[in-house]
Amino acid sequence: MKDPSPRAHLVRLGLIMAAGVVVFLVLKSVLVPASWVDEGGDWYRGESLNEMMEQPLIYGGNESCQVCHSDVIEEMDEFKHKTLSCESCHGALIDHVQDEQKIADAFVDDESTWQCLNCHDERITKPEGFPQWNKQKAVEHMQMEEGMLCITCHTPHDPTP
Amino acid sequence: MTKADQQAPRLEDERMDSRREFLMHLLTGTASATVLMVFGPGAAAHGPESSGFMKMAKAEHHYAYVIDVSKCIGCGNCVRACKRENSVPADYFRTWVERYVIRQDGVYVDSPNGAMEGFEKANARYRKNFHSAKTVPKMCNHCHIAPCVQVCPVGATFKSPEGFVLVDHGYCLGCGYCVQACPYAARFINPVKNKSDKCTWCYHRVKKGKLPACVTVCPQKARLFGDLSDQEAEVTRIFDEDKWLVLKPEMHTDPTCFYVGLPREVV
Repeated sequence: MKDPSPRAHLVRLGLIMAAGVVVFLVLKSVLVPASWVDEGGDWYRGESLNEMMEQPLIYGGNESCQVCHSDVIEEMDEFKHKTLSCESCHGALIDHVQDEQKIADAFVDDESTWQCLNCHDERITKPEGFPQWNKQKAVEHMQMEEGMLCITCHTPHDPTP
Repeated sequence: MTKADQQAPRLEDERMDSRREFLMHLLTGTASATVLMVFGPGAAAHGPESSGFMKMAKAEHHYAYVIDVSKCIGCGNCVRACKRENSVPADYFRTWVERYVIRQDGVYVDSPNGAMEGFEKANARYRKNFHSAKTVPKMCNHCHIAPCVQVCPVGATFKSPEGFVLVDHGYCLGCGYCVQACPYAARFINPVKNKSDKCTWCYHRVKKGKLPACVTVCPQKARLFGDLSDQEAEVTRIFDEDKWLVLKPEMHTDPTCFYVGLPREVV
Protein backbone atom coordinates (compact mmCIF):
# COMPACT_ATOMS: atom_id res chain seq x y z
CA MET A 1 0.00 0.00 0.00
CA LYS A 2 1.27 3.40 -0.94
CA ASP A 3 1.90 5.82 1.92
CA PRO A 4 -0.52 8.77 1.92
CA SER A 5 1.01 12.09 0.96
CA PRO A 6 2.38 13.94 4.01
CA ARG A 7 0.20 16.91 3.04
CA ALA A 8 -3.02 14.92 2.61
CA HIS A 9 -4.51 16.28 5.85
CA LEU A 10 -3.93 19.85 4.65
CA VAL A 11 -5.63 19.13 1.34
CA ARG A 12 -8.60 17.56 3.17
CA LEU A 13 -8.83 20.56 5.49
CA GLY A 14 -8.69 22.91 2.52
CA LEU A 15 -11.45 21.00 0.75
CA ILE A 16 -13.67 21.01 3.83
CA MET A 17 -13.18 24.75 4.24
CA ALA A 18 -13.88 25.41 0.55
CA ALA A 19 -17.03 23.29 0.81
CA GLY A 20 -18.00 25.31 3.91
CA VAL A 21 -17.59 28.57 2.02
CA VAL A 22 -19.69 27.25 -0.86
CA VAL A 23 -22.45 26.07 1.52
CA PHE A 24 -22.36 29.46 3.26
CA LEU A 25 -22.66 31.38 -0.02
CA VAL A 26 -25.51 29.14 -1.25
CA LEU A 27 -27.38 29.49 2.05
CA LYS A 28 -26.81 33.25 2.04
CA SER A 29 -28.18 33.68 -1.48
CA VAL A 30 -31.24 31.59 -0.55
CA LEU A 31 -31.95 33.15 2.84
CA VAL A 32 -31.22 36.84 2.19
CA PRO A 33 -34.37 38.33 0.64
CA ALA A 34 -34.02 39.71 -2.87
CA SER A 35 -35.11 43.14 -1.68
CA TRP A 36 -32.47 43.35 1.07
CA VAL A 37 -30.99 46.85 1.28
CA ASP A 38 -27.46 47.26 2.58
CA GLU A 39 -26.16 50.74 1.84
CA GLY A 40 -24.92 53.75 3.71
CA GLY A 41 -25.20 51.97 7.05
CA ASP A 42 -28.85 51.08 6.41
CA TRP A 43 -29.75 47.44 6.61
CA TYR A 44 -33.32 46.34 6.01
CA ARG A 45 -35.76 44.30 3.95
CA GLY A 46 -36.91 46.65 1.19
CA GLU A 47 -40.13 44.68 0.73
CA SER A 48 -41.22 45.62 4.27
CA LEU A 49 -41.77 49.19 3.06
CA ASN A 50 -44.30 47.91 0.51
CA GLU A 51 -45.98 45.81 3.19
CA MET A 52 -46.43 48.93 5.31
CA MET A 53 -48.09 50.68 2.37
CA GLU A 54 -50.89 48.11 2.50
CA GLN A 55 -52.23 49.65 5.72
CA PRO A 56 -55.57 51.28 4.84
CA LEU A 57 -56.16 55.02 5.19
CA ILE A 58 -58.68 55.82 7.94
CA TYR A 59 -58.56 59.62 7.85
CA GLY A 60 -58.73 61.38 4.51
CA GLY A 61 -57.99 64.95 5.53
CA ASN A 62 -60.04 67.97 4.49
CA GLU A 63 -58.93 67.56 0.87
CA SER A 64 -61.01 64.36 0.74
CA CYS A 65 -64.10 66.18 2.08
CA GLN A 66 -63.58 68.84 -0.59
CA VAL A 67 -64.42 66.33 -3.33
CA CYS A 68 -68.14 66.37 -2.43
CA HIS A 69 -68.48 69.23 0.05
CA SER A 70 -66.45 71.99 -1.61
CA ASP A 71 -69.21 74.52 -0.82
CA VAL A 72 -68.89 73.92 2.92
CA ILE A 73 -65.09 74.00 2.81
CA GLU A 74 -65.15 77.26 0.85
CA GLU A 75 -67.58 78.80 3.32
CA MET A 76 -65.44 77.65 6.26
CA ASP A 77 -62.53 79.72 4.95
CA GLU A 78 -64.01 82.83 6.54
CA PHE A 79 -64.75 81.23 9.88
CA LYS A 80 -62.57 80.86 12.92
CA HIS A 81 -62.94 77.09 12.79
CA LYS A 82 -61.28 76.90 9.37
CA THR A 83 -58.14 75.30 10.85
CA LEU A 84 -60.11 72.35 12.18
CA SER A 85 -60.16 68.98 10.54
CA CYS A 86 -63.71 68.03 9.48
CA GLU A 87 -63.03 64.52 10.74
CA SER A 88 -62.36 65.68 14.32
CA CYS A 89 -66.10 66.29 14.82
CA HIS A 90 -67.70 64.39 11.93
CA GLY A 91 -65.72 61.18 12.32
CA ALA A 92 -63.13 59.45 10.13
CA LEU A 93 -63.58 59.29 6.36
CA ILE A 94 -63.59 55.50 6.28
CA ASP A 95 -66.84 55.43 8.32
CA HIS A 96 -68.49 57.69 5.73
CA VAL A 97 -67.01 56.82 2.35
CA GLN A 98 -65.37 53.64 1.08
CA ASP A 99 -64.23 52.99 -2.49
CA GLU A 100 -65.67 56.39 -3.47
CA GLN A 101 -69.14 55.28 -2.33
CA LYS A 102 -71.01 56.78 0.58
CA ILE A 103 -71.62 54.02 3.10
CA ALA A 104 -73.11 55.99 6.02
CA ASP A 105 -73.95 59.51 7.11
CA ALA A 106 -71.08 61.41 8.64
CA PHE A 107 -71.53 61.27 12.37
CA VAL A 108 -71.88 64.41 14.41
CA ASP A 109 -72.73 64.45 18.09
CA ASP A 110 -75.16 67.34 18.51
CA GLU A 111 -76.60 66.22 21.83
CA SER A 112 -73.65 66.91 24.08
CA THR A 113 -71.08 69.62 24.69
CA TRP A 114 -68.19 67.21 24.81
CA GLN A 115 -66.79 68.05 21.41
CA CYS A 116 -66.83 71.78 22.14
CA LEU A 117 -65.44 71.55 25.65
CA ASN A 118 -62.74 69.15 24.57
CA CYS A 119 -60.95 72.16 23.10
CA HIS A 120 -62.60 75.10 24.84
CA ASP A 121 -62.99 74.11 28.48
CA GLU A 122 -60.89 76.38 30.67
CA ARG A 123 -57.46 74.97 31.54
CA ILE A 124 -54.33 76.55 32.95
CA THR A 125 -52.27 74.86 30.25
CA LYS A 126 -53.98 76.61 27.34
CA PRO A 127 -52.22 79.38 25.41
CA GLU A 128 -53.09 82.98 26.25
CA GLY A 129 -55.91 84.36 24.12
CA PHE A 130 -57.39 80.95 23.34
CA PRO A 131 -61.19 81.19 23.88
CA GLN A 132 -62.01 79.18 26.99
CA TRP A 133 -65.28 78.25 28.61
CA ASN A 134 -65.88 79.22 32.21
CA LYS A 135 -69.33 78.11 33.34
CA GLN A 136 -69.41 80.39 36.37
CA LYS A 137 -68.72 83.48 34.28
CA ALA A 138 -71.20 82.45 31.62
CA VAL A 139 -74.01 81.95 34.13
CA GLU A 140 -73.26 85.29 35.79
CA HIS A 141 -73.06 87.39 32.65
CA MET A 142 -75.42 85.71 30.21
CA GLN A 143 -78.88 84.25 30.17
CA MET A 144 -77.52 80.76 30.64
CA GLU A 145 -79.87 78.08 31.80
CA GLU A 146 -79.10 74.60 33.03
CA GLY A 147 -79.15 72.05 30.21
CA MET A 148 -78.37 74.51 27.44
CA LEU A 149 -75.94 73.25 24.82
CA CYS A 150 -73.14 75.32 23.27
CA ILE A 151 -74.83 74.93 19.89
CA THR A 152 -78.00 76.60 21.22
CA CYS A 153 -76.20 79.92 20.68
CA HIS A 154 -73.10 79.06 18.60
CA THR A 155 -72.92 77.60 15.12
CA PRO A 156 -70.20 74.94 15.17
CA HIS A 157 -68.77 75.97 11.79
CA ASP A 158 -68.88 79.68 12.59
CA PRO A 159 -68.66 79.88 16.38
CA THR A 160 -68.11 83.63 16.71
CA PRO A 161 -70.84 84.75 19.16
CA MET B 1 23.86 30.07 41.90
CA THR B 2 20.95 28.92 39.79
CA LYS B 3 20.06 30.29 36.38
CA ALA B 4 16.96 32.03 37.70
CA ASP B 5 18.96 33.95 40.32
CA GLN B 6 21.25 35.28 37.62
CA GLN B 7 18.36 36.60 35.66
CA ALA B 8 16.59 38.27 38.54
CA PRO B 9 18.55 41.58 38.51
CA ARG B 10 18.11 41.89 34.76
CA LEU B 11 14.34 41.61 35.12
CA GLU B 12 14.45 44.42 37.67
CA ASP B 13 16.42 46.58 35.21
CA GLU B 14 13.96 45.89 32.46
CA ARG B 15 11.12 46.98 34.67
CA MET B 16 12.86 50.28 35.38
CA ASP B 17 13.37 50.80 31.67
CA SER B 18 9.84 49.78 30.81
CA ARG B 19 8.34 52.37 33.16
CA ARG B 20 10.03 55.15 31.22
CA GLU B 21 9.05 53.42 27.99
CA PHE B 22 5.52 52.96 29.23
CA LEU B 23 5.17 56.65 30.03
CA MET B 24 6.61 57.58 26.64
CA HIS B 25 4.17 55.20 24.92
CA LEU B 26 1.32 56.63 26.93
CA LEU B 27 2.26 60.15 25.84
CA THR B 28 2.62 59.17 22.17
CA GLY B 29 -0.63 57.21 22.34
CA THR B 30 -2.56 60.13 23.81
CA ALA B 31 -1.13 62.53 21.27
CA SER B 32 -1.90 60.27 18.30
CA ALA B 33 -5.41 59.53 19.59
CA THR B 34 -6.07 63.27 19.84
CA VAL B 35 -4.75 63.84 16.31
CA LEU B 36 -6.85 60.91 15.02
CA MET B 37 -9.99 62.19 16.72
CA VAL B 38 -9.59 65.60 15.15
CA PHE B 39 -8.42 64.61 11.66
CA GLY B 40 -9.04 60.86 11.48
CA PRO B 41 -12.00 58.81 10.25
CA GLY B 42 -13.93 59.54 13.47
CA ALA B 43 -14.13 63.19 12.51
CA ALA B 44 -15.71 62.27 9.18
CA ALA B 45 -18.65 60.50 10.86
CA HIS B 46 -20.80 63.60 10.31
CA GLY B 47 -18.78 65.32 7.62
CA PRO B 48 -19.57 65.57 3.90
CA GLU B 49 -17.59 62.38 3.21
CA SER B 50 -19.50 60.31 5.80
CA SER B 51 -21.86 57.55 4.76
CA GLY B 52 -24.71 59.27 6.61
CA PHE B 53 -24.21 62.48 4.68
CA MET B 54 -23.89 60.69 1.31
CA LYS B 55 -27.10 58.82 2.05
CA MET B 56 -28.91 62.05 2.90
CA ALA B 57 -27.62 63.72 -0.25
CA LYS B 58 -29.13 60.86 -2.30
CA ALA B 59 -32.60 60.81 -0.70
CA GLU B 60 -35.31 62.83 -2.38
CA HIS B 61 -37.07 63.93 0.82
CA HIS B 62 -35.81 64.66 4.30
CA TYR B 63 -38.88 64.56 6.43
CA ALA B 64 -39.06 66.29 9.77
CA TYR B 65 -41.68 66.85 12.43
CA VAL B 66 -42.24 70.05 14.38
CA ILE B 67 -44.26 70.44 17.58
CA ASP B 68 -45.15 73.97 18.64
CA VAL B 69 -45.83 73.60 22.36
CA SER B 70 -47.03 77.19 22.69
CA LYS B 71 -50.00 76.36 20.41
CA CYS B 72 -51.02 73.00 21.92
CA ILE B 73 -54.31 73.06 23.84
CA GLY B 74 -54.16 69.45 25.00
CA CYS B 75 -57.43 68.44 23.31
CA GLY B 76 -56.15 64.93 22.51
CA ASN B 77 -57.44 64.90 18.91
CA CYS B 78 -54.01 63.68 17.79
CA VAL B 79 -54.00 60.81 20.27
CA ARG B 80 -57.47 59.64 19.20
CA ALA B 81 -56.67 59.94 15.50
CA CYS B 82 -53.41 58.00 15.90
CA LYS B 83 -55.19 55.24 17.81
CA ARG B 84 -57.83 54.89 15.11
CA GLU B 85 -55.54 55.24 12.10
CA ASN B 86 -53.03 52.68 13.33
CA SER B 87 -55.33 50.41 15.40
CA VAL B 88 -53.22 50.99 18.52
CA PRO B 89 -54.48 48.73 21.35
CA ALA B 90 -56.04 50.26 24.46
CA ASP B 91 -53.59 51.58 27.08
CA TYR B 92 -50.76 51.80 24.52
CA PHE B 93 -49.79 54.95 22.66
CA ARG B 94 -47.75 55.83 19.62
CA THR B 95 -48.24 59.47 20.50
CA TRP B 96 -49.48 60.98 23.74
CA VAL B 97 -49.72 64.38 25.40
CA GLU B 98 -48.10 65.19 28.74
CA ARG B 99 -49.16 68.01 31.01
CA TYR B 100 -46.33 69.87 32.74
CA VAL B 101 -47.42 72.01 35.68
CA ILE B 102 -44.47 74.08 36.79
CA ARG B 103 -44.74 75.33 40.35
CA GLN B 104 -42.24 77.02 42.61
CA ASP B 105 -41.85 73.78 44.57
CA GLY B 106 -41.37 71.47 41.60
CA VAL B 107 -42.63 70.22 38.28
CA TYR B 108 -45.68 67.97 38.09
CA VAL B 109 -46.18 65.79 35.04
CA ASP B 110 -49.17 63.66 34.14
CA SER B 111 -50.79 62.14 31.08
CA PRO B 112 -54.10 60.51 32.05
CA ASN B 113 -54.79 57.78 29.47
CA GLY B 114 -52.28 59.49 27.18
CA ALA B 115 -54.68 62.47 27.00
CA MET B 116 -57.13 60.44 24.91
CA GLU B 117 -59.96 62.43 26.51
CA GLY B 118 -57.94 65.61 26.99
CA PHE B 119 -57.19 66.72 30.55
CA GLU B 120 -59.40 66.95 33.59
CA LYS B 121 -59.67 70.30 35.23
CA ALA B 122 -56.84 70.63 37.71
CA ASN B 123 -56.93 74.36 38.11
CA ALA B 124 -57.72 74.71 41.83
CA ARG B 125 -55.35 71.99 42.97
CA TYR B 126 -52.38 73.46 41.11
CA ARG B 127 -53.05 77.17 41.56
CA LYS B 128 -50.94 77.34 44.73
CA ASN B 129 -47.36 78.48 43.99
CA PHE B 130 -48.27 78.13 40.34
CA HIS B 131 -45.72 79.34 37.81
CA SER B 132 -46.76 78.07 34.39
CA ALA B 133 -48.25 75.04 32.67
CA LYS B 134 -48.01 73.51 29.23
CA THR B 135 -49.29 70.47 27.38
CA VAL B 136 -46.48 68.76 25.49
CA PRO B 137 -47.17 66.19 22.74
CA LYS B 138 -44.68 63.31 22.71
CA MET B 139 -43.91 60.63 20.15
CA CYS B 140 -41.06 58.83 18.39
CA ASN B 141 -38.32 61.34 17.57
CA HIS B 142 -37.19 59.47 14.43
CA CYS B 143 -33.54 59.91 15.45
CA HIS B 144 -30.71 59.95 12.93
CA ILE B 145 -28.59 57.95 15.37
CA ALA B 146 -31.40 55.79 16.72
CA PRO B 147 -30.53 53.63 19.75
CA CYS B 148 -33.41 51.27 18.85
CA VAL B 149 -31.85 50.56 15.45
CA GLN B 150 -28.46 49.91 17.03
CA VAL B 151 -29.75 47.32 19.50
CA CYS B 152 -32.10 45.32 17.25
CA PRO B 153 -30.55 41.84 17.04
CA VAL B 154 -32.35 40.81 13.84
CA GLY B 155 -32.20 43.99 11.76
CA ALA B 156 -35.97 44.46 12.00
CA THR B 157 -35.79 48.10 13.07
CA PHE B 158 -34.26 50.45 10.56
CA LYS B 159 -34.01 54.02 9.40
CA SER B 160 -35.41 54.41 5.91
CA PRO B 161 -33.50 56.76 3.57
CA GLU B 162 -36.17 59.45 3.89
CA GLY B 163 -35.94 59.60 7.66
CA PHE B 164 -38.64 57.22 8.92
CA VAL B 165 -37.57 54.90 11.75
CA LEU B 166 -39.64 51.77 11.04
CA VAL B 167 -40.14 48.21 12.23
CA ASP B 168 -40.19 45.29 9.78
CA HIS B 169 -42.92 43.14 11.32
CA GLY B 170 -41.82 40.22 9.18
CA TYR B 171 -38.53 40.12 11.06
CA CYS B 172 -39.35 41.50 14.51
CA LEU B 173 -39.20 38.88 17.25
CA GLY B 174 -40.73 41.08 19.93
CA CYS B 175 -37.68 40.73 22.18
CA GLY B 176 -38.11 44.27 23.48
CA TYR B 177 -34.48 45.42 23.31
CA CYS B 178 -35.59 48.48 21.35
CA VAL B 179 -38.29 49.27 23.91
CA GLN B 180 -35.60 49.50 26.57
CA ALA B 181 -33.13 51.34 24.35
CA CYS B 182 -35.44 54.20 23.39
CA PRO B 183 -34.67 57.24 25.58
CA TYR B 184 -38.06 58.74 24.69
CA ALA B 185 -40.17 55.73 25.75
CA ALA B 186 -41.77 55.86 22.32
CA ARG B 187 -41.91 52.10 21.76
CA PHE B 188 -43.97 49.24 23.16
CA ILE B 189 -44.63 45.61 22.43
CA ASN B 190 -48.00 45.43 20.71
CA PRO B 191 -50.01 42.95 22.81
CA VAL B 192 -52.06 41.86 19.78
CA LYS B 193 -49.24 41.30 17.28
CA ASN B 194 -46.53 40.55 19.89
CA LYS B 195 -44.19 42.73 17.88
CA SER B 196 -42.48 46.01 18.57
CA ASP B 197 -44.74 48.93 17.71
CA LYS B 198 -44.10 52.62 17.33
CA CYS B 199 -44.98 55.82 15.49
CA THR B 200 -44.24 55.44 11.77
CA TRP B 201 -44.99 59.09 10.94
CA CYS B 202 -47.91 57.35 9.20
CA TYR B 203 -45.60 56.01 6.47
CA HIS B 204 -48.62 54.57 4.61
CA ARG B 205 -50.24 58.02 4.50
CA VAL B 206 -47.16 60.14 3.75
CA LYS B 207 -46.18 57.95 0.78
CA LYS B 208 -49.70 58.46 -0.60
CA GLY B 209 -49.38 62.23 -0.32
CA LYS B 210 -51.28 62.65 2.95
CA LEU B 211 -50.08 64.08 6.23
CA PRO B 212 -49.73 61.87 9.33
CA ALA B 213 -53.11 61.40 11.07
CA CYS B 214 -52.08 63.45 14.14
CA VAL B 215 -51.01 66.38 11.95
CA THR B 216 -54.23 66.12 9.91
CA VAL B 217 -56.52 66.55 12.91
CA CYS B 218 -54.56 69.06 15.03
CA PRO B 219 -56.89 72.09 15.31
CA GLN B 220 -54.13 74.46 16.38
CA LYS B 221 -51.51 73.48 13.78
CA ALA B 222 -49.27 72.72 16.73
CA ARG B 223 -48.05 69.64 14.89
CA LEU B 224 -46.30 70.12 11.56
CA PHE B 225 -44.84 67.57 9.19
CA GLY B 226 -42.88 68.35 6.09
CA ASP B 227 -39.83 68.07 3.92
CA LEU B 228 -36.64 69.81 4.99
CA SER B 229 -35.42 69.82 1.37
CA ASP B 230 -38.25 72.25 0.61
CA GLN B 231 -36.93 75.67 1.65
CA GLU B 232 -40.45 77.12 1.83
CA ALA B 233 -41.96 74.36 3.96
CA GLU B 234 -43.31 75.33 7.38
CA VAL B 235 -41.01 72.81 9.05
CA THR B 236 -37.98 74.41 7.39
CA ARG B 237 -39.02 77.93 8.36
CA ILE B 238 -38.75 77.22 12.07
CA PHE B 239 -34.97 77.22 11.63
CA ASP B 240 -35.12 80.89 10.55
CA GLU B 241 -35.37 81.64 14.25
CA ASP B 242 -33.11 80.07 16.81
CA LYS B 243 -36.00 79.00 19.03
CA TRP B 244 -36.19 75.27 18.41
CA LEU B 245 -35.07 72.51 20.75
CA VAL B 246 -34.84 68.73 20.69
CA LEU B 247 -35.62 66.38 23.56
CA LYS B 248 -32.69 64.88 25.49
CA PRO B 249 -29.88 66.35 23.34
CA GLU B 250 -27.40 64.83 25.80
CA MET B 251 -28.29 61.37 24.40
CA HIS B 252 -26.76 62.39 21.02
CA THR B 253 -29.57 60.67 19.14
CA ASP B 254 -29.88 63.56 16.66
CA PRO B 255 -33.72 63.60 16.53
CA THR B 256 -35.73 64.84 13.57
CA CYS B 257 -38.61 65.86 15.81
CA PHE B 258 -38.14 69.53 16.71
CA TYR B 259 -39.93 71.45 19.44
CA VAL B 260 -40.76 75.15 19.44
CA GLY B 261 -41.73 76.96 22.65
CA LEU B 262 -40.61 74.06 24.80
CA PRO B 263 -40.24 74.90 28.51
CA ARG B 264 -36.76 74.20 29.88
CA GLU B 265 -38.32 71.78 32.38
CA VAL B 266 -39.32 69.37 29.60
CA VAL B 267 -35.99 69.07 27.72
